[in-house]
Amino acid sequence: MRRRALLLTAPLVLLARPAAADLVYVLNSGDSSISILDAFTRQELRRIPALREVHHLVLSPDGRDLLIADSGGNEILFVDPATGEIRRRERVSNPYHLDFSPDGRLLVICSLRRNQVDVYDARSMALLARLRMPEKPSHMAFRPDAKVVYVTLQGSGTIAAISLETNQPLWEIPVGREPAGIAWHRGRLIIGIMGSDHFAVVNPETREIEKQIPVGRGAHTIFVQPDGRALWATSRVQSRLVEIDPSTLDVRRIIDLPGGPDCIAFDPDGRLWATLRWSGRVARVDTRTGEVETIRVGRSPHGIFIQPRRAETEGLAQTAANRPATNAR
Amino acid sequence: MTESFNHALDDATGWIFETLLQPLMYQWGLMDWADDALQWLQFGLFGLFSIAVVYLVCRPLEAWRPVEPVTDRSAIRTDIVYTLLTRLGLLPMVAFVLLASLQAWWEGSVADSGFVPPTIETLFPQLREMPVLAFAIYAVILDFGEYWRHRFQHSFRWWWALHSIHHAQRQMTFWTDDRNHILDEVIAALWFGAIALLIGVPPGQFPLLVLLMRLAESLSHANVRLSFGRIGERLIVSPRFHRLHHGVLSTAGHGKNYAVLLPVWDWIFGTADFRRDVFPRTGDPEAPEALATGGWLRQQAVGLKRMAGAIFGRGTA
Repeated sequence: MRRRALLLTAPLVLLARPAAADLVYVLNSGDSSISILDAFTRQELRRIPALREVHHLVLSPDGRDLLIADSGGNEILFVDPATGEIRRRERVSNPYHLDFSPDGRLLVICSLRRNQVDVYDARSMALLARLRMPEKPSHMAFRPDAKVVYVTLQGSGTIAAISLETNQPLWEIPVGREPAGIAWHRGRLIIGIMGSDHFAVVNPETREIEKQIPVGRGAHTIFVQPDGRALWATSRVQSRLVEIDPSTLDVRRIIDLPGGPDCIAFDPDGRLWATLRWSGRVARVDTRTGEVETIRVGRSPHGIFIQPRRAETEGLAQTAANRPATNAR
Repeated sequence: MTESFNHALDDATGWIFETLLQPLMYQWGLMDWADDALQWLQFGLFGLFSIAVVYLVCRPLEAWRPVEPVTDRSAIRTDIVYTLLTRLGLLPMVAFVLLASLQAWWEGSVADSGFVPPTIETLFPQLREMPVLAFAIYAVILDFGEYWRHRFQHSFRWWWALHSIHHAQRQMTFWTDDRNHILDEVIAALWFGAIALLIGVPPGQFPLLVLLMRLAESLSHANVRLSFGRIGERLIVSPRFHRLHHGVLSTAGHGKNYAVLLPVWDWIFGTADFRRDVFPRTGDPEAPEALATGGWLRQQAVGLKRMAGAIFGRGTA
């Protein structure tokens, strides 16, 4: 009976499987490799060797290249996001976190170990400016007009604003112990205070902390859900995933996620994927039910990205403008 | 097997970090160092595991065919202290904390100069798809560097003053591998750093290979009458090959068999002695007694004093 049921349902399962499943890119910072997972079967399809220590990644503004930063290997890999093929490599000094300015003109790279922030011409990869910073420049967020980039300084307990017109620092303010992730949200900066249990909401005009969002010990990174209806934050010590109301910035829901959740990406079905730094796994979370499934990847997984291949197959390729919301770093 | 080993190591590290270490770091305001702490924890756990493996392999061999009877257990205990300090990461951790700012400054300066340190894989791109082979090439080059560092340790009076701590041991066992002056370890780290600037740092994803290398290095010091045969002796350093280097007539500049892992360097540079029936007494007859039988701290102090004497022309070295 059971066998017959399986035979009957098998074709349905095969039909339900998309022709080209989404690809999930996971950067295994602890063992120099990139795992590519099939989002549907959750199987690892390939593991690309990197040189030393891959942490963060970003999609190019035209959606053509996925830039993967290998900080210890001093290079950036330019990968075809649809196939995982490495197109080229660029020698870059210790790239840790990286992002394109909203106008796509500049690529900004933080070097955590070398206390520097580099500004590159996005097209030519020519180094335009190297700013010597206080301790440990970590993550960044841009002002939507692309004139200012804000960088967390993990070792100094501050954030710095850097003008992208003059390539000079504008100001630096204390925000709390060991600030890590940072996001621009409706005219405010939301910063994960890793040495504490909250996110700080800073008004960049007045440079004042207006609010604290309690999420649990080791507040780390924050990402905007693609439809804008929620913000999702992680806390690495208390191991939590926290849903935040985008209007009130109040905590809506807490999901316990053991393993030290770090970076987040969203798939087209509205599921959330998070890297679990201390357990060598990624978690796939159904944001509606809170159901969690974990998948083994490499050591100390950090950056994560989802390439929605199904959308491409169905002729629904997203434009470069709305991609960053889907593919969080 | 490699994958299972890596997974087991990862799971143990992750669990200890998340449940024990990270909460403490948060409490002490050290979350800034979380990534580094995870690496150190892995280093320490791996060190503990490698000590256990080395013990399980070498101890039965030493009991089976010892070269000499054990007459001085306290000298072995001192070597155990050296091993624990080195392999559990305590000394490297102190060095890391002290040198972290210096390293950031140095790396920043290198970056400012426009020099981006290369890697073997950037020089030979085909190695990118063959990480195990790349690792093996790094191991060979670094072993070549170790051969010459070792020769210099025996050639310069001030350096020999430090290195003679390693040679002063008359009761040589597999524990003797890590018996080094702390300043000698710092110089070794700088030596490694200089090579890394030229060829890059080897990939770190092969703990099992590192374990095998460590096992070979410890085994080479073991108190066991063991030679690897006519061909084997030329492929990898054996307990027989290395005991001859530690022989009482092989101290300072009179040394033979300097290789750490691959005897080929001694072969090429004319310092090899492949006589397979020679198992000499070990020790440095010219070293003060404290270097042979003193405790860890005493040996460190005497080593430093002798080095100063060698540099400023006083005392013996």
